[in-house]
Amino acid sequence: MSSTVVDRTRAPRRAVGGDTVVGAPQGPRRRRGIGAVLVEASMVVPALVVFVALLVVPVGYAVYYSFTDYNGFPNRTPEVVGLDNYVRLFQSTDVTGALVVTGAVAVAGSLLVNALALGLALLLWRTTRFTAIARVVMFYPHVLSLVAVGFLWSAILGPQGAVNSLLGSLGASPLPFLSDETWALATLIGVIAWAQFGVQLLIYLAGLQAVPAELLEAARVDGAGRWHTFRHVTWPGLAPSVTVALVTSMISLLKTYDVVVSLTGGGPAGSTKTFAYQILAVDFPKRQVGLASAEAVVLIIIAAVLSFAVLALRRRHDEAAA
Amino acid sequence: MTRRGTGVVGAALVASLLAVSACGSGPDSASGSNEVRMLVNLTDNLTQEYWNELVQPFEEQTGIDVRIEGPTGTNVSETFSSQLAAGTGPDVIQSIFPDEQIAPELVDLTGETWVADTPMVDTYAMEGKHLVAGIGSQAQSLVYYNKTAFEEAGIEATPQTWEEFSDALAKLADAGYTPLQTAGQWQTGLQLQQLSHPTVNTLHPRWQSAVSAGELTLGQVFQPMFERYATWIEAGYVQQSDVGLDPSTADANFIGGKVGMYPLGSWLVASIDNAGELPFEVGVFSPPVEEGMSYPGPQGATMASPYMVYAGSERTDNALQLVKYLVTDQAAIESQLVQDGVFRTGTAVQTSPVGQEIQQIVDEAPELVAVGEGAGDTRLPVVGLNDKFTEITQSLYTGTSPADAAAELDAWAEQNR
Repeated sequence: MSSTVVDRTRAPRRAVGGDTVVGAPQGPRRRRGIGAVLVEASMVVPALVVFVALLVVPVGYAVYYSFTDYNGFPNRTPEVVGLDNYVRLFQSTDVTGALVVTGAVAVAGSLLVNALALGLALLLWRTTRFTAIARVVMFYPHVLSLVAVGFLWSAILGPQGAVNSLLGSLGASPLPFLSDETWALATLIGVIAWAQFGVQLLIYLAGLQAVPAELLEAARVDGAGRWHTFRHVTWPGLAPSVTVALVTSMISLLKTYDVVVSLTGGGPAGSTKTFAYQILAVDFPKRQVGLASAEAVVLIIIAAVLSFAVLALRRRHDEAAA
Repeated sequence: MTRRGTGVVGAALVASLLAVSACGSGPDSASGSNEVRMLVNLTDNLTQEYWNELVQPFEEQTGIDVRIEGPTGTNVSETFSSQLAAGTGPDVIQSIFPDEQIAPELVDLTGETWVADTPMVDTYAMEGKHLVAGIGSQAQSLVYYNKTAFEEAGIEATPQTWEEFSDALAKLADAGYTPLQTAGQWQTGLQLQQLSHPTVNTLHPRWQSAVSAGELTLGQVFQPMFERYATWIEAGYVQQSDVGLDPSTADANFIGGKVGMYPLGSWLVASIDNAGELPFEVGVFSPPVEEGMSYPGPQGATMASPYMVYAGSERTDNALQLVKYLVTDQAAIESQLVQDGVFRTGTAVQTSPVGQEIQQIVDEAPELVAVGEGAGDTRLPVVGLNDKFTEITQSLYTGTSPADAAAELDAWAEQNR
């Protein structure tokens, strides 16, 4: 911006040393300014109160409890135990095992969810009567409760479920979808991907609408094939959507709990016990609120680090491209 | 400020205050009401409708409204913990037992004259205090069997030793039946414990206290049973795929007549009775013991329908009246006994043949013993055994050796002691 042009986005300069600086508020304007500030504040305060009450306070309590031996009973005064809960957390094979499972679910799950969503978004990009219906159908699994999804797939993939019954009637051996440790984890990831890709599909469909039609047309005129058009036009245009879809799916998968309860119960042999399951179904019911809070804090930190890492990578990539 | 601006500010402030004041009011604002909240377990036998019907006469007699609440989490224990943390604890809690952490949160019922005669009340006493009252006993160590399958397999008598039990498994397999039905989720570990109770309690009476005192480890208690299970899994008597089977399907398999033996607690009686006429005759026996031990061994049992009153309740008198009704009113007791396959000395309400067989097993048992983490003062030094035990038992199905499973159990106990 040229120095001769007034920058109206900056705050008015105040009087310094008795001299009135150009742009400083005058008498009547100052009174109006206070009123405007109050009006603005009155608009912000309710949202701020809700934000503090529903986010800052609970997280603050979780952090506080994570340094105590609190058992969740109101009569019991939490005693500060320093870093004991964090030390115990990383020494516990149960917790570290759950962290590994959660990592696998988050990484493999988000890749699968996004691959599935992106592929379908490309197929359903053009609006026709069929694709309009297909979009609704594809989003449908996301509307279902994850607990219901777990029961549904348990009935389909269980040892005596629909798939194994069909295999049995065809004379084939049953598949251990839920009774083998590796298979059960893969099944869990697949079911989560099925249930969650609807939102990512919408993100990609919205992103595809933002890809400039003239660039696509130019690529077509220049004789670019489908792959080259996707690689050099569509994909760069989708980059912000990919970032959003990856971050949201990964954070969502870090909290995987409901579907574990109804699909596998964390088994077999703890092979599908996620970190959120460990917090909510193991440590919290044992009234180890201090330890469970420490685990929750670790989960928040992991989610934050992952989010910032993906965003930083995205920004670095954008800067390099620019 | 303009009038319009002042109005906007005022409206926003009022809205904020209203929002804040709304946040401040909660369920306790109704503390003056004549309502009692009871947190209960909801199962196939104990449905919301059943609970409402059970307390209806009490409501009519006293004018006290009883609000039945099911678990909002995975179970009553988790829900109770959540509600206490949120300051919304129920007045009465059903289905869980007092332990060292919960005890300070409960009303001491020792002074209530009606508590002394309730079943198993002394077993669950903590330092002499009665904190819980129930209506009977749930027998835990039972093996249901298909009499038709036994006849077809040539098994003439129910097995009393583990050797006889293994022989019976082999014969049932040869006859084309699933020899032993097990299931995944919470049921895997429970079934192994149920089969163990008579043997373990003969070898190590009050083993929970012995583990607490450091005289015994959990691995030492359960490794012999882990070894039996591993042998059965290897032989195909226990299906490896059972570990992915939901418990309801396991129930259905047994009721459907495909199964030879099915270890489970006495609550299965209600399901069997409700299933109508079965294509076979159901029998039941106490699990075997080791060669040379007296048969039947001690019977694992838990207090049935345990009721506790939350000390933080603002309606303690009403809550006590409700618990007194549930554990002393004859009609209420009989209803609960029938509904969930519960047994009570001197109250022969189980009229089905299977129910009568279980009553006989309970009567003939040399002792009713605490199961799992224990009861009252006979307790393990760790909490959460059942979940971990299931996880470790499931690892036997997926290839872990019995010795490693026992070592993992000990390592877990050491980490969580």
